[in-house]
Amino acid sequence: MSGGRFHASATTPTRRHQIPEFFTAVAVWMAAGLVVATLAWILIDIAVRGISQLSPSFLIEGVEDAGRAGGIGPVLFSTMLILMVTLALAIPLSLATAIALTERVDQDSRFARNVRRCLDVLAGVPSIVFGLFGNAFFAIMLGLGYSILTGGLTLACMVLPILIRTSEQAIVAVPNEYRYAAAALGLGRSATLFRVVLPAAAPALMAGVVLSIGRALAETAALIFTAGYVARRPESLLDSGRSLSVHIYDMAMNVPGGGSRAYATACVLVALLLAINATTTLLLHAAGLQGRSVGGKG
Amino acid sequence: MKSIHAWLIAPILALAVPGCARNSAEPIVAADEETLSGKLTLTGSSTVAPLVTEIAKRFEQRHPGVRIDVQTGGSGKGIADTRTGVAEIGMASRSLKPDEADLTAHPIAADGVGVIVHQANPIKQLSESQLITIYTDQIRNWSELGGEDQEITVVHKAEGRATLEIFLNHLGIENPVVKADVIVGDNEHGVKTVAGSEGSIGYVSIGTAEANIEAGVPIRLLPLGGVEASTARVASGEFPMSRPLNLVTTGSPPRLAIEFIRFCQSPDVEDLVKANYFVPAARGPDVAE
Repeated sequence: MSGGRFHASATTPTRRHQIPEFFTAVAVWMAAGLVVATLAWILIDIAVRGISQLSPSFLIEGVEDAGRAGGIGPVLFSTMLILMVTLALAIPLSLATAIALTERVDQDSRFARNVRRCLDVLAGVPSIVFGLFGNAFFAIMLGLGYSILTGGLTLACMVLPILIRTSEQAIVAVPNEYRYAAAALGLGRSATLFRVVLPAAAPALMAGVVLSIGRALAETAALIFTAGYVARRPESLLDSGRSLSVHIYDMAMNVPGGGSRAYATACVLVALLLAINATTTLLLHAAGLQGRSVGGKG
Repeated sequence: MKSIHAWLIAPILALAVPGCARNSAEPIVAADEETLSGKLTLTGSSTVAPLVTEIAKRFEQRHPGVRIDVQTGGSGKGIADTRTGVAEIGMASRSLKPDEADLTAHPIAADGVGVIVHQANPIKQLSESQLITIYTDQIRNWSELGGEDQEITVVHKAEGRATLEIFLNHLGIENPVVKADVIVGDNEHGVKTVAGSEGSIGYVSIGTAEANIEAGVPIRLLPLGGVEASTARVASGEFPMSRPLNLVTTGSPPRLAIEFIRFCQSPDVEDLVKANYFVPAARGPDVAE
């Protein structure tokens, strides 16, 4: 992508400049190619090893014979429940925090800077630490036990920093002229926020949500000690439920002969992520919100 | 004010009383032999968990009022959770240590630890002293043991793994003297590492190794002390390097826990034990048969 710029600047070259230009272009293109190739390799590897095991019944049936037979129906269901709990808590909280940080307090105030610093530290905390915290606080201290709720709350804590930071950047990226124009028309602060700023920031806000969904779906370490390992269909949010990533980990690492099932489950997980990404892009297009593509803002 | 409080409390009491009545009735039902009910939580060894999950499923089918949640985290977590009461039953893939004498172990199966090499490795057998020299880095090339001229990659388990303790105990060496090239976590991880490098040697659960060999993974189990490394030899008690898979409870577990442990030890679940590549625990009366 950025190679194009080098070509453009190389249209009126002297011979002396041509050689370094050429090597730079090659290096940049090769780096980009390597990234794409790695992604393609991972996707193809998972697909080749997993797709033969996939069938509609695999998505619906319960886990049999420690995962070597049957399907992943209850696991898929638990994953969705955990994700719903996570988003239901994380989205309102992070949006409100982002609004407070951008629209309500001075951008460069000591308070805002310190909150941001805390969030950056939180974002760098390894997920297993969130898992241990979730186990100690939600599961044992609040008595929620190994449950969907414990898992969802722990993941919400984990994705909050990313979600707040991306939301904040999304809101800041809205040009100030929009706000001036709204003020000139006599709109109040709240009306400006809800009618002008947030709709304009929606694509980037969605990008943050999709990023968080990706992080939550991929999470294993934080979930083993919180949402747990039970592969039964949960009857309530207080039941333990195994997520897709925990299932993949268990199939690959603990169950002899579970390797192919791990790949099949990985296929489902990757497909789910791609589908969520594609749907979001589609929805944004349908809503007439052009421009920054989903994921591009992270 | 008082009268208002009374008005507020009366309906709440009216609602609560039938609930209390039902709750107090439940233990009476549970005391009945055929209708067990209640919830049981197990945590611990990730080696035992897949097996116990399957046993629990069968137990739940026979006793529809029972829910059994199986969680993992390692043998150490199982023992800690049983002590604190987070779990009624812990799972441990090793014997209890002397400082864990406050708990009771209930063996449900056994698992052997076998030494594995890559399929292409011509080595036929290693003695225990040879294993020690390999793991303490005194021998670095297979040619010194009669194999090909190839560097030995020593695959070792991470601290805290039950297989590691059995391996070191059997060889009579301490962990710090081991000079490993690769440290792995789970058995499957060990198998994948050895299968991926021709000069490597590792040790894993024999059941896991057998399952992988069946699935065509290029590894080979080496005999130990002249005894073939197979689940059959672990079952017969001949294979020297083996470990028990235990359920762990405090001195006075609840009745449901006792019933479940009995079920885990019964012949009704032997097929599940074998399907998970373990060996059913030796039982007094059954061995006599």
